[in-house]
Amino acid sequence: MKNSEPMSESYYYILLCLAKGANHGYGIMQMTEKLSGGDVTIGSGTMYGATSNMIKKGWICEILSSEPGLERRRLYKLTESGLEALRTEIARLKRMLENADEV
Amino acid sequence: MQAEYKTIHRVFFAWNYPAEIEYLNKASEEGLQLVHGGCYSSKFIKDPDVRYRYQIDYGKIEDMGRYIETFREQGWEYINSTFNNWHYFRKAYDPTLPEEAYEIFTDRQSLNEMTRRWSRLALLIAFLAFCGNIMYLIDLIKRPSLPAALSFTAILIEVIVLVFGAIKIGKADARRSIKGDTALFTVFLVVLLAGLISGLTLKGMRPSFKTSQQASSVDQPKVEDRWADFTVKYADNYYLDLEMRSEKPMTFKVMSEKDGEIFSKTTEEFSEKDIRLKLPAGNYWLNMSAESGYFVDCKLQ
Repeated sequence: MKNSEPMSESYYYILLCLAKGANHGYGIMQMTEKLSGGDVTIGSGTMYGATSNMIKKGWICEILSSEPGLERRRLYKLTESGLEALRTEIARLKRMLENADEV
Repeated sequence: MQAEYKTIHRVFFAWNYPAEIEYLNKASEEGLQLVHGGCYSSKFIKDPDVRYRYQIDYGKIEDMGRYIETFREQGWEYINSTFNNWHYFRKAYDPTLPEEAYEIFTDRQSLNEMTRRWSRLALLIAFLAFCGNIMYLIDLIKRPSLPAALSFTAILIEVIVLVFGAIKIGKADARRSIKGDTALFTVFLVVLLAGLISGLTLKGMRPSFKTSQQASSVDQPKVEDRWADFTVKYADNYYLDLEMRSEKPMTFKVMSEKDGEIFSKTTEEFSEKDIRLKLPAGNYWLNMSAESGYFVDCKLQ
């Protein structure tokens, strides 16, 4: 079995949003809705489950905001291995699209 | 004005949690706002001026602070958690928003993860109950009796219900309540409790004693010596462990007030366990006659 399984939409968009910089859950949700034109939403239960699993995998980590006025606010930050996982997924998606063009 | 509280006792089965959500939403519409959710009873406050939508999540939460914050960010107010890891949330109802705005699981994967957490636990309990029930089954085959049959059946039903629930929760659709299930499974629960309680009660009503007698020598032959009296309250199989030794053949009898001799053994040496006696309700006693020194040890249950 391959060690990189296709990612769920929620995982993919969370990583994608964090690639632009650390963000909190609400920010990720809003950005996802904007990027996908409202097609993808991430509910609270899904968000907590996905972030918990990705923290365990080491793809993201938790940091506290240092922005004035938002001190101690929880933020998620992409790690090196998270970026790697995202790149692998993007490459997989690209290959799938190219394959579709070839057929 | 003083706040008016109301506690409602109602049991929802775990796999039927969407019906509980539906029920809470409906109660809110009718002016009862949940303040504390529970497995057996829920506490409400009367307030007809607000309206909420509810959600229930299941799982052991490692980081409660991050958990509550993740929900709060999207407008969910944390209400409480039960001892067995069910978490209650509410969000003010806005009729202009689509129903999807009140979903907390927006993909199959995360919903499955939640239901699987419960299924795993249910299957583990079912497996342990099943293993424990094998002992009841062995006992039932070796020594058939009413209490053993009742306990075995009750635990078997529990195992079936848990396995059924583990399958069913995975198919639960948060948007469609499965009404009618509650009544059906209340019956299941009542059967389980009735089986266990009546099994234990019947067990407690059985005669259960151990007694022994001996004499080094006998001056005159002892004839028809009435020994231990006991009462059988309901017809069933009862079991006798008997051990006897004597120099000359002796006789051991189980006597019934109604039917006379039920069981009789005349011998010099005898030892057997689990002799099955089919006894109807009534009064009984043990009888013994010996012509020499003897030893008798008997256990009835």
